[in-house]
Formats: sequence, C-alpha cells, structure tokens
Amino acid sequence: METTHLEITHRSFNRTDLLELRGRLDAMHAPQLRQRIEALFDQGRSRIVLDLAELEYVSSPGLRVLIEARKRARDRRLPDLEAGDLRLARLPLRIKDVFDLTGFTNLFQIYDDVVDAIGSF
Amino acid sequence: MLRDTLTIAAELDALAAISAFVRAGLEHAGFDERGSWQVQLAVDEAATNIIQHAYPATSPGSIDVSWWFDGATFSVELRDTGQPFDPATVPRPRIDAPLEERDGGGLGLYLIDQLMDTVAFTREAPGVNVVRMARRRPIRAPAVRQFVLHGRLDARHSTAALAPVRAALDDGARAVLLDFGDVSFVSSSGLRDLIVLLRRVRAAGGELRLCALQPLVAEVFALTGFVQLFPIHPTAADGLRAFGGPAREA
Repeated sequence: METTHLEITHRSFNRTDLLELRGRLDAMHAPQLRQRIEALFDQGRSRIVLDLAELEYVSSPGLRVLIEARKRARDRRLPDLEAGDLRLARLPLRIKDVFDLTGFTNLFQIYDDVVDAIGSF
Repeated sequence: MLRDTLTIAAELDALAAISAFVRAGLEHAGFDERGSWQVQLAVDEAATNIIQHAYPATSPGSIDVSWWFDGATFSVELRDTGQPFDPATVPRPRIDAPLEERDGGGLGLYLIDQLMDTVAFTREAPGVNVVRMARRRPIRAPAVRQFVLHGRLDARHSTAALAPVRAALDDGARAVLLDFGDVSFVSSSGLRDLIVLLRRVRAAGGELRLCALQPLVAEVFALTGFVQLFPIHPTAADGLRAFGGPAREA
C-alpha cells in the first residue's frame, strides 16, 4: 500500500532552504506545498531546493505549484541583489517521466545530488 | 472478464483511494509498475477534474469508477452527475514554451491524452457525464539490460563490478538481469551493494533479477534470507522471460 499523504520536511541553511517531499503531490496535497513555499517567501527566503527522492507521485495540480513557485522565486530580489530560485534534486524515474511528457525537464534546474543543488546557489 | 466498481464521494481525499482501487485492477491485469502508474495518473487527472469542476461546493456528489480488463486492454470509466464538461474548451499546454509563458493550465487533459491509447468524454441522458479511457497492456517486456558479473563480489571488488549497472540505471534502465554464472563468492559488502541496487530499481518502478547462481553463492543467499528479496532464476533465459510478465515471483 502506497502512502496517501504528503510529508514535507524543512531544513534551513545559510543561504538556502531545503524541502524534502515524501508521498503524493496530487490535487489534495498540492496546496500544502504551496503554503510551505509561501511561508518561506514571507520570511524573505526564496532560494529553495526541493528534494524529490521520496516523492511517489505527482499530478497536474502539483506541477502547477512548481511552475508558480519557480516564477515567484525568480521575481523576488534578495538583499544581496541576487534573484531567488526554486531548484530540484533527485527526481525518481517516474517523476522524471512526467517531467519529460510535460516539458518540465527544460523548465527547471535539476540536480542528481542535494548537496550540488544547495551549492548551486 | 475481470472488472470492479467503486463509488466514492467526489472529494479530494478520494484521489488516493481511487489510485489504490485502479492499481489493484492493473495488478490483476498484469501491468508492470510503469504501465500501472501511468494509467493511475491518467485516472487521477480525470478524477481531479470531476472533483474540482463538476460539483459546486454547495452540492457535493459522487463518482463511480469502474475498470475492466478483457485480456488485452484495460479500460476505466468515471461517471458523475455534475456539470457537463467539454474538453474542447481546455487550451492545450505549450509543452516547449519557456517558463515565463507557461501557466500550468491544461496539463491534466494533456497527460490523459499522452498516457492512454483512447479517451472519450460523453454525456449520457439523464445528466450523466462519462469519461472512458483505455490502455493496451504492453505486449513486449521492457528492454532488459543484462550484466555478466565475474569473480568475487566482496568489499574490494563489488563496487567496481556493479558500476556499469549503476550507470545503466542512471541512463534510465528499468529492467536489469544480473548473471552470476561466473561469480565465485559474495560477501556481506557485496550483498549490501546489491540491496542498494535493488532499492534504486524498485524506487524507479523497475525490476532487478538474478540468475545462474553457483551453489556456494546460492547458499549465501539462502542463509541470509536474500532469496526472499531477489527474484532468482536458474538460467539467464529464464530470467529474461520473467520480466514484465504477470507472473512475478518477487
């Protein structure tokens, strides 16, 4: 039995915030991710890495949250004058399949390694 | 003919239950992991559409989800009694547009079209919306990557020996057969490396099978309980035949 939930674990680094997603990013749970990202924006944090290694499932409402979040992050200018961004790490193959089908692979900076993703900022 | 029906309240927390219901059908029908989640995703998108758009918040309704399998094609039907839906009104997403020009709209229908062989939206009197979609079960097994391992899978050698397998997984290989015919020894380090590989393959929805174990190596697998974890076949030909089929001994 696969999980029916979305768990989001947050780790804060100096310049970057890491959100680890586990479970289902479907219409039920997409708002949960959007709120977590909005909360980071509200705190002035907009260099965000999503670790998707444990994400079992994504459907179109989840994809929409990813697009909106990346656009909003890049529109935000940080005190050091760099723009924010939302970058992705460790896509499981089934998530990568969905990204390939929907053209998302070209819309995001995607890393095989979380450390590389965090270090990219 | 295999078939089943589920009636469920049209609310967002039904989505996981609908996926589980359809997944059970796809397992009966012998779909592999990848085919299964693709059909689940298409059904999830159709159900999401109904839940979000067919019923006003003030008068919630239900969805009937049915699947049937005729031995070759898996069909799913979702019925609701909400607002009619015309897929022609939904713009198609521009898949190759840059980020600034994408809003994420229309992806659900697009995914259904991509993932299923056929899909049809109809309205049946009186006031019933029906979406019916179907997908043939893949006839061909997935392309199997076969690796012949040599010598000792121990702390010194197993990481290097399995490096080509990891590289193939990086390239998207999902069906992997490891031929142990020339492997004389497997230590606990080797077993650990195999478990790591197995987790990776499973996480990707793939299959990892082993074949042609020498008697001493087979004994290590038996003593450690690893025979329970890995599908093990007497010969490479047996292993190849087992991929993607409904009879999975894993």
